Amino acid sequence: MNTGELLLELVLMPLVAFLVGLLLVLMMRKVRAKIERRVGPPFFQPVYDIVKLYAKKTQISHGYMHDVAMMMLLGGYIASEIFLPVPGMDGVAHQADLLTLMYLLMVPMLGMAMGVGQTANPNGSIGISRALTSMLAYDIPFVIVVAGAAIHYGTTSLPTIIEIQQQQGLQSWGLTTMPLLALAGLMTMHAMLGKEPFELYVAPAEIATGPMVEMSGKYMGTLFVMQCFQLYTVGVLYTTLFLGGGLNWLTFLPKVFAVVLIAVSITNVYGRYRTEDAVRWLWKWPVMIALAGLALVMSNV
Amino acid sequence: MTTLDFLFLLSLSTVLILLLFGRRPMAGWFAVAAYAMQLIMLLAIWKGFSGDISVPSSFHFMIQGHQLHWGMNGLGWFFALITIIAAMLTSAFSAGEWGQQQKNMHLQHVAMAVNVFAMLLLLSSMDFLSLFIGWELVSWAAYLMMTQRGGKAADAAFRYLLYAMAGAMMLLTAIVLINVRIHSFQFEAFWDALPVLPSALLWTISLLFVGAFGIKMALLPFHLWQATAYSETPGAGAAFLNAIAARMGLFALLIVLLKPIGMERLQILAMPLFAFIDAQSLLLWLAALTAIIPTFIALQQTDARLLLTWHGIGQGGFMLLGLAVGTPMGIAGGLLHILNYASYQAALFLAVTAVIYRAGTADLDRLGGLITRMPWTFIVLLMGIIGLAGLPPMNGFVSKWLIYKSLMDANMPMLLVAASISTLGTILSVYKLIHNIFLGQLRKAHFTLKEAPLSMIAPMLILVLIAFVTGAMPGLALTIVDAAQAALGYDLLPHHLGGITWPSGSLNMLWVTGILFYGIGIGAVIFLFLGNKRHVTHQWDNYAGGHFLSAKTPYQYSHNFYPGLMRIIGGWFGQQVLNIEMGLRHFAKLLSEVFYDSYQVVYASLYLVAALVVTLALIVKG
Amino acid sequence: MIGPVLLIALPFLGAFLLPLVYQHYLRAAYWAAPMVVITNLIIALALWFGVSMVGPQSLLMGGFAAPLGITYYIDHLALLFIILLLAGSLSLWLGAWHRRLQEEMLTLLLIGSGTGMALSGDLFNIYVFFEIMAVASYGLTASRRHCGQSFAASLRFLIVGALGSSMLLLGIALIYALTGTLNLSHLAVLAPELLHGTTGLAAFAFMLIGLGVKAELFAVNTWVPEVYAHAPIRVIALLGGFVSKLAMLIIVRLLLLLYAGSDAYLILLGFGALGLLTAEFAALHATDLRRILAYSSMGQLGLIAIAFSIPGEAGLIAGVALAAHHAVAKPALFLLIENWGGHWQKLSGAVKVAPLASVIFLIMTLSLIGVPPLPGFWAKLLLFQAGLTAGGIFNWAIVLIVLTTLIETAYWLRINRQLFQSENNQPPVNIPPDRELWPAALLLVLLLLISLNIGTISDELTQMAYHANDTETYIKHTLPMWQTGE
Repeated sequence: MNTGELLLELVLMPLVAFLVGLLLVLMMRKVRAKIERRVGPPFFQPVYDIVKLYAKKTQISHGYMHDVAMMMLLGGYIASEIFLPVPGMDGVAHQADLLTLMYLLMVPMLGMAMGVGQTANPNGSIGISRALTSMLAYDIPFVIVVAGAAIHYGTTSLPTIIEIQQQQGLQSWGLTTMPLLALAGLMTMHAMLGKEPFELYVAPAEIATGPMVEMSGKYMGTLFVMQCFQLYTVGVLYTTLFLGGGLNWLTFLPKVFAVVLIAVSITNVYGRYRTEDAVRWLWKWPVMIALAGLALVMSNV
Repeated sequence: MTTLDFLFLLSLSTVLILLLFGRRPMAGWFAVAAYAMQLIMLLAIWKGFSGDISVPSSFHFMIQGHQLHWGMNGLGWFFALITIIAAMLTSAFSAGEWGQQQKNMHLQHVAMAVNVFAMLLLLSSMDFLSLFIGWELVSWAAYLMMTQRGGKAADAAFRYLLYAMAGAMMLLTAIVLINVRIHSFQFEAFWDALPVLPSALLWTISLLFVGAFGIKMALLPFHLWQATAYSETPGAGAAFLNAIAARMGLFALLIVLLKPIGMERLQILAMPLFAFIDAQSLLLWLAALTAIIPTFIALQQTDARLLLTWHGIGQGGFMLLGLAVGTPMGIAGGLLHILNYASYQAALFLAVTAVIYRAGTADLDRLGGLITRMPWTFIVLLMGIIGLAGLPPMNGFVSKWLIYKSLMDANMPMLLVAASISTLGTILSVYKLIHNIFLGQLRKAHFTLKEAPLSMIAPMLILVLIAFVTGAMPGLALTIVDAAQAALGYDLLPHHLGGITWPSGSLNMLWVTGILFYGIGIGAVIFLFLGNKRHVTHQWDNYAGGHFLSAKTPYQYSHNFYPGLMRIIGGWFGQQVLNIEMGLRHFAKLLSEVFYDSYQVVYASLYLVAALVVTLALIVKG
Repeated sequence: MIGPVLLIALPFLGAFLLPLVYQHYLRAAYWAAPMVVITNLIIALALWFGVSMVGPQSLLMGGFAAPLGITYYIDHLALLFIILLLAGSLSLWLGAWHRRLQEEMLTLLLIGSGTGMALSGDLFNIYVFFEIMAVASYGLTASRRHCGQSFAASLRFLIVGALGSSMLLLGIALIYALTGTLNLSHLAVLAPELLHGTTGLAAFAFMLIGLGVKAELFAVNTWVPEVYAHAPIRVIALLGGFVSKLAMLIIVRLLLLLYAGSDAYLILLGFGALGLLTAEFAALHATDLRRILAYSSMGQLGLIAIAFSIPGEAGLIAGVALAAHHAVAKPALFLLIENWGGHWQKLSGAVKVAPLASVIFLIMTLSLIGVPPLPGFWAKLLLFQAGLTAGGIFNWAIVLIVLTTLIETAYWLRINRQLFQSENNQPPVNIPPDRELWPAALLLVLLLLISLNIGTISDELTQMAYHANDTETYIKHTLPMWQTGE
């Protein structure tokens, strides 16, 4: 890959991620509307929201760490997108692997935690505490799933994983070769998105939206952008691991949307778990299923 | 006189000079200069060894037909490098303003110099007897450093010394058992005999060694002494101890048991009753448990120093985890983690010491919001905790990645899960650390706090810069690790400046760091140039559900930071090991009282007659 | 040769002539006793070099033919302890500003009888000298006037000692009944058939109890804490440091010559192990400094007993090394606490007023615990090697020793902590006057010299143990004396 292609991908991959993310946010709001028997927002609503937030006159900051955190948030996700291979653009996915991506995705979360910390609002701190707790909760089954998948494929390099899954079509998808792990992975991805019933870190009624209590204007806008990236990343990651990636965008995007659709559909019919209940649930069912899947994978190795 | 002799002489003269002239005001700076000279001498040794060959020392003596000799190979050099740099930078920290307000800085300087000398001796041991001598010297030197402050520190140090003596006795027993078997105290003779030692003997020796070295590196269940002892030591000394002292146990374990030939034997050495568990798995799981449990104990601490020292115990388990895998990548990961950990842990401890210096407390429930008053300390702590948590772009991530990958390649997924659980716990715990000190509301009492002086900031910054640079360019650190790995006898891990290229998934930190900063740059551009200008508000200008914050009611969330989690896992930490320790202590006290009372007799002759009768009875019976 | 005769005769002569000298030549009397000891020391050193060159010697006392005559056997093992006794009592004389006739007489008697006991090759002769030594020590322990408790303690000592001596005599009588002879070398020849049975072992048990009173062995060492708490420091140093070793030496001789290869070793092991266990734990609980040192002595002697109970040369080397080391380290500690005394917590912050004394205390206790590179470590290493090579029940003895080392560390470190770290502003303790400090400092220098020359010293010890173990040579040297007498 020569420098020109690389530079192009450096710009395109985050951009594509953002755009697809916008569409995913739109889908999420439309689905909610349909379940609630509403029309739902217009097509460009997510864009309007972001522009509105950025265009606000008063932009209140609580300190330089607050600002740096927003940059870290954006930056972390932009960097992660460049490491996530999509059809036609591998980016720098050969220079890092699945484990790196997993930990790279924690950098934006840490950045946001820093920023929220500096806002000095206890609601925000409580929200971060819950967010980190839920991260501990869902990351355990997630690591089991990743470990199982990596051992099954024999590699942690994402492009290689995609290649392996595309060898024999549907038969070699992770979904069919590791069904238990795929199921556990789906549960974990749902928790990763922070959607009900695992929305404990937002909890608008209890902690005044938690980390977002002191975010307004472009700060809120950045969080909005982050949500786009987040939906995209989680969807693409799951697709890469279990749904065979995609040869081209036509086969790829439906899979991504399907994954996110499942999550946002379920979320609309649930309330919110308490912290202990969320942790207990995540440490029970996904972990058991993932361990069973792992045992199957290890016995085949 | 070889270069190693010069190094020993330099170190010894540092001790003597500090002992005699340590009360002068420039003593601290002299110490820094002395350690710098030792570092230069150490670097001069770099060319002297390769593979198995080591730089010998001219000092040796014979006793009872056994020869004790000293020499430094790549492995010892690796640890010595960390030791001297840690000593140098922590001495620089204490040379300026901080040292002047300490009561007995003289003693602290001498203690650190003695520690460095003892460690250099230990790291150059070439046979079991010299290893034992060095081991005892290191144990007592560490005691000297820990006990100075008196009071709680002395109590914790006393407890440490009892543990250390138990370990030393176990070590002596193992060494003598080996000598009884192979009639030699030399390492080479032991390594040659390893494949053919009978299983029972090898189990006894391995357990004794792991026990002895495990006490020093605070392996479960011998970990109880380390947290309090290391946290009560005065600031700069604590940073030094945390960085490297416990790793002496790892060095000894490596050089004795974990060479390739030892590892092979451990992999087939099955447990007596549970034949499907072999010694290597036992070691791996012990390391994994040590990585997890202390990390979650750290999560619950409210004293910043205790939090850090409990993490130290956990990370030690991590290092052993990598080393016990036995593959080139695992060994490289474990060794690299030792180096990485030393850099950011020392920085973290120095930062916390700076906070104590300015704010007077390390209690996490009584601090907050110091980011505006001590920004540089905050930056150091931030980079330190990113390293401790093992996130890119710091060096902690590289070594952890190597360990994860080696576990994956060795088909040990559950251990990978265990290691990840430890990392997750670390992330939670370090966020609590930085939040409760630097983020949140600033207390009224701290409104006028000043930043720590330059003499304290500079060494901390150097350490985190080292952590950052070795994170972005791990090849630099891996070159040093190569020397240690070659001395052990393992194959080297092929690497380049940015990381490693591996068939089942590579890592190039140059790219990762670069892309990360590129992303942050784009984020900065978007954030700064889009939207209107922002203005900063006061910390009390917050949403408080309808009423207003003021100096009297600032509202900070720091106590019991993870209540939901604690409700679930809090009950699991029932101090089981502590109860065992207390039980042993009470039993010893009981025995001592019983036997003391038994000697307070009026009719002493009764004992004589009784003993005689019993003995005669036993003789007659046969 | 006249050397050994002088070694024994001079102190006795000096003891009996001392009152006369004191009465008429007071100024000379001041130096009389030390001169005797110095002369003895020179003779002993000369004998040492003699034995180094030509090997062990034997002597028929007075030229009287055996069996009525008594043989004396001079080898390195006995000479080592004699030299230690002489040098020790000499250094204890230094700085003793309070001279009393009775004390000097008794000390000279002690020295003379101790030397005789160590050199003697006849069982009853040993008994006679042992009795003289015992009576001298009873007298010495009561020599602190105006202290009723010291009288009571020495009385108890006397009762136990007298009982023990009767046991010793009973044992010797049993041996005579079994074999018809009292000459050690003849017994060594007859021992394998006649003495290894039940009666022979019973005789050993009796003798062990008797000798064990002096050797501070378990069950007969209850006098030690009392006496050490109240007797004068010099007396304790002499008793604990040197007399006990001599008694142990006799036990070793009996084991080597009469009971080699029998179960008698196990009897000694049992007593030693029990003594070590109980004494070290008791020391943990004790609070008076003198008692702590008393229990520590008992424990160390238990350790030495365990070492000697390991059959073979290895055990012998270990025992001798431990005994010699203890003889150097313990008296120094006793000298230091003479003025300190009392509860160990009263020593808070002693380093500020008595730095040299505190450092000496620290180093001596570190050596007792067994911290390298001090000599105590090498002695313990030898013991570990001997024990683990012997295997079987001795493995468990090593486990016990590991445990008690931990206990030792605990109580010694407690005291050292008090010395070096003062918690509160308590009134400073008394500084031991220079006169007491000098002997202790000398012992420290000796200890350090030993640690520097540990290689050569360990070689010498190995030689000594080899020769001592060599029963054949003993018999070869002394039996012709017996046989030519016939």
